[in-house]
Amino acid sequence: MVNVPKKYLDEVLPNCWYNIVPDLPRPLPPPMDPPEASSRIELLKRILPRELLKQEFTVERFVKIPDEVREKYEVLGRPTPLYRARALENLLDAPIKIFFKFEGALPSGSHKVNTAVAQAFYAHAEGVGHVTTETGAGQWGAAVALASALYNLRATIFMVRASYDQKPGRRALMEFYGAEVVPSPSRLTRTGVEVLTKNPEHPGSLGVAISEAIEYALDNDFRYVMGSVLNAVLMHQSVIGLEAMRQLEVMGEEPDVLVACVGGGSNFGGFAYPFIGLKKRKMEFVAAGAAEVPKFSRGEYKYDFPDAEGVLPMLKMITLGRDFVPPPIYSGGLRYHGLAPSLSLLVASGVVKWVEYGEREVLEAARIFAKTQGIIPAPESAHAIRAIIDLARRAKDNGGRKVIIFNLSGHGLLDIENYREMMTKYRGP
Amino acid sequence: MKLLVAYFTVGYPTESKFVELLREAESCGVDAVELGIPPKFAKYDGPLIRRSYERARKVSANCWGLLREARKILGIPMIVLAYLDDYSEAFDDFLNRLCEVGADSLLLPDLLIDYVDSFEEYLEKTRDVGLTIFTNPSMPDKLIAKISPLSKLFLYYGLRPATGTSIPVDVVALVRRARQLVKNRLVVGFGLSPNDVVKVLKNGADGIAVGSLLIRAIEEGGIEEVSRVLKELRGVVDGV
Repeated sequence: MVNVPKKYLDEVLPNCWYNIVPDLPRPLPPPMDPPEASSRIELLKRILPRELLKQEFTVERFVKIPDEVREKYEVLGRPTPLYRARALENLLDAPIKIFFKFEGALPSGSHKVNTAVAQAFYAHAEGVGHVTTETGAGQWGAAVALASALYNLRATIFMVRASYDQKPGRRALMEFYGAEVVPSPSRLTRTGVEVLTKNPEHPGSLGVAISEAIEYALDNDFRYVMGSVLNAVLMHQSVIGLEAMRQLEVMGEEPDVLVACVGGGSNFGGFAYPFIGLKKRKMEFVAAGAAEVPKFSRGEYKYDFPDAEGVLPMLKMITLGRDFVPPPIYSGGLRYHGLAPSLSLLVASGVVKWVEYGEREVLEAARIFAKTQGIIPAPESAHAIRAIIDLARRAKDNGGRKVIIFNLSGHGLLDIENYREMMTKYRGP
Repeated sequence: MKLLVAYFTVGYPTESKFVELLREAESCGVDAVELGIPPKFAKYDGPLIRRSYERARKVSANCWGLLREARKILGIPMIVLAYLDDYSEAFDDFLNRLCEVGADSLLLPDLLIDYVDSFEEYLEKTRDVGLTIFTNPSMPDKLIAKISPLSKLFLYYGLRPATGTSIPVDVVALVRRARQLVKNRLVVGFGLSPNDVVKVLKNGADGIAVGSLLIRAIEEGGIEEVSRVLKELRGVVDGV
């Protein structure tokens, strides 16, 4: 890094991750083994890097970011910028200031790499040379491919076959970083073979891809890296919120409302948890989900499997059921059936409020943002922008100045083909 | 003196051996026993204890009789462990039976997880028999600090997500965090390895609890093996 003075980096990029569990309003229900089955909790030892597992279950408020990880955060461009969205403010003409943290500035285009780097490092540190994971639309896969390249690890990424066929660009991105991308269902695993025997034309699903990635890791003694839901993953993402907190302090601003979109919860948790747990000020927290995956309005708060095949331990979470088949919306990152247990608890206790938006209104918000601020947001992140627009309207009606900050979790340049299809489908403005 | 707490499943491995095990435990220097009533679903237990429940259910239907028997032979405190899930409907009857058998305290592993909003109500109801409260690292600091003085005999702190699993955790960090919050006696359990035991005690715990370790000893070598394990643990606990 030559362009950012070291002093500034040290001031903004934190030394520690923040774990909200000790500061939650209620006890976090532990993971549970299903009745009458082998212990899934024990199995985790063979699936996840040891240090990650240790972080998951060693509940400390602050965990030091290893130097080797912090160094990579700098390489990738952390701290990411915090912008004031003046042009959007002008357009909305409401008594609000809008700030956004731009995780799309990271090389793989989204916040996902914040945890991928940490998990790849832990696998590397325990001498494992190969990691596996799954990817739907490819954002998580790209983050893992990049993180693996940084530590010279091999990565095998099971990509849902439909995306593999339809999104050769995303696939090429992962391959460019050196990852092996396998269409799922594949012939590399028993799960894949079983699915293909029943239906050779199976388009694949995230659930099958997760199961394949886990099975492949188990069979070969590789490690599986997980993109969301785990406490440890949300903790790694806390760099977003901790940086934002410091950046706002430097600017002399105190937020009143925080907004982020929600799939499994890692972007929301990483961004909002430091504010929820560490700030004593009264703030409003808004999680923006997809109306097509109505986990907030229709989900149940109960023990469920985080993966479709039920290989992992059960978690108490807001869920639509592991068999939930989401409609083919373009925000691939929001199609997950469940929600991280800590975020589920915060939603169930009323600390975090939620909104859900359909694709048409999200497209509109994304275009408003692109036309004002110039950045094409990822369709996932556009859900948060949609919420900002609503909040602005509300502020206009109710009066009172507000400072609103949201997390722009990713850019949408890689989704431009999706946006083109959405424009045709909805005949937008 | 540091405490050694031993867990046994009521009626496991057989009714008569269960009673014998308790005698042996007391003579090996155990300070208190936890006796687990087989639940319908042992939500927060690991594979070994779940197996012991299944077996106990097959060989014995005489849980209360065995607890009465246990009370007769034991000179040390007897804590009954049961899932609130099984008794929340007829809780008063359950409490009456506990008092009748002479339990010194009750431990409900799911109380603060699934019934946290009714905690005060249950605390009030269990005033006569007393409540040994179960906590774990995923409980908020504020809650642990608030409830710890209310716990009878000691506060139980489970280190791992389920009993008897060998999930890697940073034992030192966890016990130190709990120690700061807990003003009364702190007993730590859940999947302790011999190595963990020393770390737990050196970092401020007042005692340890073992369960799955004993179930394994019973499976592998019966009462003799349990006796050997307990004597060894007593030595380790006293040596710290």
